[in-house]
Amino acid sequence: MKTRHIAVLVFGLCVFLPACVGPQKPPDNLLSLTDAQMKIRSFQTRTFDTIDSNKVLRAVSAALQDLGFIIERANAPMGLVTAGQFAGQGFAGFVELTVIVRNTGKQQTEVRVNALFNTKPIEDPKIYQNFFTSVERSLFISQTQAN
Amino acid sequence: MAKPESFFELKPESNKRKAQQTRIFDISDEKALLSASAAVLQDLGFQVEESSVGLGVLRAAKERSARQVGQEILQGFVFVLGLFGQKAIILPVDLHQRIGAVLVTRQAENDASRFIVRILFYRTVWKGDGNTGDQYITPGEQRMEVIYDERIYQQFFAKLSKGLFLEAHQI
Repeated sequence: MKTRHIAVLVFGLCVFLPACVGPQKPPDNLLSLTDAQMKIRSFQTRTFDTIDSNKVLRAVSAALQDLGFIIERANAPMGLVTAGQFAGQGFAGFVELTVIVRNTGKQQTEVRVNALFNTKPIEDPKIYQNFFTSVERSLFISQTQAN
Repeated sequence: MAKPESFFELKPESNKRKAQQTRIFDISDEKALLSASAAVLQDLGFQVEESSVGLGVLRAAKERSARQVGQEILQGFVFVLGLFGQKAIILPVDLHQRIGAVLVTRQAENDASRFIVRILFYRTVWKGDGNTGDQYITPGEQRMEVIYDERIYQQFFAKLSKGLFLEAHQI
């Protein structure tokens, strides 16, 4: 009999106690960067010696097209391009990226890209290097032929 | 299949595809080129979903039935075959598709009087339901693919040249 009372009490506690706990606060470090994120930020950024950020942005979109990406959003005044591509095994995965181009200083334009594969951030510096190689190629073509 | 390392690398076929998807027009007005492109896409039944004049970008999409006679004949054939094994096998067939297009304009190098247009068509196809004979196959399996059929691009650029009263040049 006694054990049965205890069982009922424990059951009751299990049901009602969680209700006493208020909504959980989000952790304080929700928005702070992890070490890994700090490290990849430098791989994700490249500076070009030109003031013409629109030219750089157009070079980015041309490079993305060369690489077979589908441009999803583009906003010239903001210097924003987002793009995606079906990739991976049987094209079941999805690579997506956001590029922001902005002027820094008097003679420079900064390109920042972050890429995700299946919603997970890509952290391999080699992949970002390849991306910037394509952008440089695209920018270089338009520069040499413009001169 | 493609590994993450190769995501931003040019493929051997990249140049061929670029040529297929690109034409040059003798026009100096990018806005006119963009709006003519939007008009052609509209004529083809597309809805424009994203546009940026400052960047020369247009993205449009349309939804269509994806039913194909061949697949339905195969479905019927497999069903009849399955009956001999006393099983009702129903192959899922393509039902619905969403066709997308991304168009980017860019000034030709070293020449302000010419603009380059590059367009990419792609589609997502959804399958209907089916049955393996023992188990129901739920509908909605999807497949995504980029369209590389030369004729599709030729048709689009033919319409665009007509709309602009200009000849399209290959790169």
